[in-house]
Amino acid sequence: MIRSDIIRGHLDSIILRLILEKDRYGYEISKEISLRTDNRFQIKEATLYAVFQRLEKKELIESYLGGVSQGGKRKYYKITMLGKAYLNEIVTEWKELKEIIDLFLEG
Amino acid sequence: MKKLKIYVDELFKDIPESDQKIAIKEEVLENLEEKVLDLIEQGKEEEDAINKAIVEFGDIEDLKNEFGVKKPVNKNMTKINLAYSIWGSLLIISLFIFINFYYSPSVIWFVYPTFVVLWWPLTMYFKWQRSK
Repeated sequence: MIRSDIIRGHLDSIILRLILEKDRYGYEISKEISLRTDNRFQIKEATLYAVFQRLEKKELIESYLGGVSQGGKRKYYKITMLGKAYLNEIVTEWKELKEIIDLFLEG
Repeated sequence: MKKLKIYVDELFKDIPESDQKIAIKEEVLENLEEKVLDLIEQGKEEEDAINKAIVEFGDIEDLKNEFGVKKPVNKNMTKINLAYSIWGSLLIISLFIFINFYYSPSVIWFVYPTFVVLWWPLTMYFKWQRSK
């Protein structure tokens, strides 16, 4: 299990990436993260909603009410133009960071 | 499912009422319910499923920080302090000048206390600069 403080700074980009693929709602995102990481990383819901708030405030994502579940209306998130541009930048930055860290920690 | 509602109410009780709060509470509850139903489908008892969802929710502090619950930022008072110190020292200095020229015009001594008093606005000036 990955320590949460080490991945914290990357949560925004992970979630943006998932929303880029298609519009998603909260539980779907947390489930998708567990699924793709084979349960090696599970995001806490409290953290997830904090990220949503932050991203929405920065206008990187938008929300709308969509499909109905048993409980009520799901709140879906959609990436904005700004969000896409931001994500692109983050991906480039990440590649560079990875190379640099690898220089020291790999092999 | 009622337990979930109570749990969510409890989670958000420290956050001041706002439209944003109502919206996010609804969202949290909706998603938690869905998670519980999902867990039940995977073969868990309802009680277990609810407990698991609650345990895995995590620490609400993160979310609080995103709300306005942050400690109010200390208002920057250094500028007012500077203005006060300038006015104050001017008053004190003019008093010295007045006493000097009124009672002992032959000896110019007011510069000495003036020099001392000027440290006050000077200190406040640096505090103001540093706070910028």
